[in-house]
Amino acid sequence: MIDAINTSLFTPIGEDGLIGIYLILNGLKVTLIVTFFAMIIGSILGVATTLMKMSSKWYLRWPANFYVSVIRGTPVVVQLVILYFIVLAALDVDKITAAVIAFGLNSGAYISEIIRAGIQAVDKGQMEAARSLGLSQAATMKEVILPQAIKNILPSLGNEFIVLLKETAVIGFIGGVDLMRAGEIIRSRTFEDSVPLFTCALIYLLLTYIFTFMLSKFETRLKQSD
Amino acid sequence: MIKINDLHKSFGDNQVLKGISEQINHGEVVSVIGPSGSGKSTFLRCINLLEQPTQGEIIIDGQSITAAGACVDNLRQKVGMVFQNFNLFPHKTVKQNITLAPVKLKLMTQAQADIEAMALLEQVGLKEKADAYPSSLSGGQKQRVAIARALAMKPELMLFDEPTSALDPEMVGDVLDVMKSLAQKGMTMVIVTHEMGFARDVSDRVIFMDGGVIVEQNEPEALFSNPQEARTQAFLSKVLR
Repeated sequence: MIDAINTSLFTPIGEDGLIGIYLILNGLKVTLIVTFFAMIIGSILGVATTLMKMSSKWYLRWPANFYVSVIRGTPVVVQLVILYFIVLAALDVDKITAAVIAFGLNSGAYISEIIRAGIQAVDKGQMEAARSLGLSQAATMKEVILPQAIKNILPSLGNEFIVLLKETAVIGFIGGVDLMRAGEIIRSRTFEDSVPLFTCALIYLLLTYIFTFMLSKFETRLKQSD
Repeated sequence: MIKINDLHKSFGDNQVLKGISEQINHGEVVSVIGPSGSGKSTFLRCINLLEQPTQGEIIIDGQSITAAGACVDNLRQKVGMVFQNFNLFPHKTVKQNITLAPVKLKLMTQAQADIEAMALLEQVGLKEKADAYPSSLSGGQKQRVAIARALAMKPELMLFDEPTSALDPEMVGDVLDVMKSLAQKGMTMVIVTHEMGFARDVSDRVIFMDGGVIVEQNEPEALFSNPQEARTQAFLSKVLR
């Protein structure tokens, strides 16, 4: 066991002198960078898509619906590969940027659905009551609907970010070295299966655990304002 | 004050209102009664365009609100509405519920609105609940806050959509008392209700609706004690026992 850990993580694993733990930490860095920026892009896209979907104009609604159904209807790994090898092929974009774009696009579609569901979950009577007082559609949204919708949205949004973090494990498909890919490289060079794979799994678990913990703290604080 | 000409409303194939013409005068209190599904709530909701009429015309103070380009938000400021399910804003305190619209619509400053809100809360007997959230109120208290919230816009007309139907029986009296005092102050009111005693005591006129049309209307005494139409007689014999 100790031997296996030593071989996989703390001694050079090839003629290039690569050490497993450095590979893992660099992979972790890539995973976190991609997740973080994809989260930001996804959130912006998600809000924009929701606004478009709720618009009364068909030429805004239609592209938004199309975008969401394409993204939801295909696996993220297929989207990543198509984006990197076909859409962005001519542009000489590096792998991490491509991954950020792909996961951002993917997450945006899901986030827009989360926001839409959160808004729709607010009782219809709230809109009617606010409008009956003479408030405009926009003022009703801002003062009455969104403050209530946000409480429905946040838990699902946190969940979406956890899913996103885990889904980045397919970056290896375009040759990017993320946490998962780092584990795979070690495995193929040392022929040790358990240590690199469990190390990866443990780190993912730790990350999502920390994230869940921070979220629950945040939600508790929100509930106090009730 | 309000004139309604040949109002029709359909939901898909379901024709709910089949031609209603009616006039409601300033200071009049009109109760609308009838079996469920008769279209009485839809009729009320059409008056402030929560439902868009399929056909027909509604004129308030000489202005057609159903005409293309009519400013619906301005109309709604003049027409207060009280809902069966209160629809208070749960994320705002009682006082904030009342002051939100007048302040956002720039009819009052926050300070003025706060003073006004306290006066309205006193009127409905809930002054001590000003800083409470709706979730801590009983149904009857919620409905009284909802009435205060509608009154804060200083409406010329108040619509009540079954205001006591969702209340526990012992809460009904408090809400009806508030409405009664409002009627005595000369507010124009249209009330969809199942409270026959209240309709009889407070209304100037009672309208009986069934099947999407006004079947019969009269002064309350006359309608309740001497209904002319068979459908009215059948309905009243079931509810007045």
